[in-house]
Amino acid sequence: MEEMELDLTGRLMADMDPKLLEFLQTKVNSFVKWDLVRFFHDNPHTTDTANNIARYAGRSVETIQTELAELARDGVLEENQLGEMTVYSLAPDRHTRELLARFVRASDDRQFRVKAIYHIIRGTRR
Amino acid sequence: MERVKTGIPGLDEMLWGGLLPQTANLIEGAPGTGKTTLGMQFIYHGIVACDEPGLVLTFEEFPHQYYNDASSFGWDFRQMEREDKLRVVMTSPEVSKADLEQVGGRIESLVREIGAKRILVDSLSHFERLSKDPAHLRSIVYGFINALKREGLTAMLTRESVALLGEAGGTDDTLAFLVDSYVLLRYVEIESTIHKALLVLKMRGSNHDKGIREYEITSRGIEVRAPFEGREGIMSGSPRQMVDSFVQAFVRR
Repeated sequence: MEEMELDLTGRLMADMDPKLLEFLQTKVNSFVKWDLVRFFHDNPHTTDTANNIARYAGRSVETIQTELAELARDGVLEENQLGEMTVYSLAPDRHTRELLARFVRASDDRQFRVKAIYHIIRGTRR
Repeated sequence: MERVKTGIPGLDEMLWGGLLPQTANLIEGAPGTGKTTLGMQFIYHGIVACDEPGLVLTFEEFPHQYYNDASSFGWDFRQMEREDKLRVVMTSPEVSKADLEQVGGRIESLVREIGAKRILVDSLSHFERLSKDPAHLRSIVYGFINALKREGLTAMLTRESVALLGEAGGTDDTLAFLVDSYVLLRYVEIESTIHKALLVLKMRGSNHDKGIREYEITSRGIEVRAPFEGREGIMSGSPRQMVDSFVQAFVRR
């Protein structure tokens, strides 16, 4: 019975644009990443170190370092060496930028946010 | 000689027609004196009146802050970005310096992408955290300024002054030697009212107005007005009427 309820909730929560659902489950799968992609969406020309991005985002560098690296690995951000510094910027790929813009626009909707939070929490429990 | 007009009424006259092209120009003032507004007005005027796209390099404020501030003067920076005439770039001094040092860096690409001719760097004060050694800091800023000139940009660089009224004590002025022009913005108290004063302290390669003028931040941006007359000690923050100084100096009590 409990399993059936969970399945029903899961199906209700999965009722969103499949591309955004995939983006959420495979790329923006933590609240810190959500904050970071929003930051880069709002500041698309920013290139900076993890230390400075942490400062802009009001987080500690330890909190965001791994998340930045994972976003770069997943193609949402770009990771480059600038002298001795590792810097991050938004990936120039148009498809990714469009998907990110759709995700940020969708996030303004409360229903979408509730579903997105559900998926992130479920993802972190796995 | 060709001039880069700031578009600020009164200031271009003080600069004998405007800034010189591909120069670095320092705007120094206390919080609220309008350094960033002056810089944004310079960028805005370049885009709308001179067909000269611009970059804003910010080391502290978020781009949306510039969009909001600009829109309060009726300048639609968001639309200008959409039209590829403007880029507001949030970064840090160390990254922008390293980026400009390499060939084909991000800033260089942005300059080429939109054909930028003007840049606002807000603010140069943030470079001060890169080195405690004044000679090293001077070398860092020198390289940065030269890179901007290499890109063909006329730069306006803001710098924060800690003193609200009068002379800022303790600031290291070696950076002032690196720039081509130096504009000071100051608060001045006259008869219990705060006014704003502007002075062009230096302009390399050109003559300029040596007067101290009053300016205001209006709904259209900065407007430089008439010189302060009949007063002295304006930049001290507490000017005296010249007649008072005369009495103090020559009349025995």
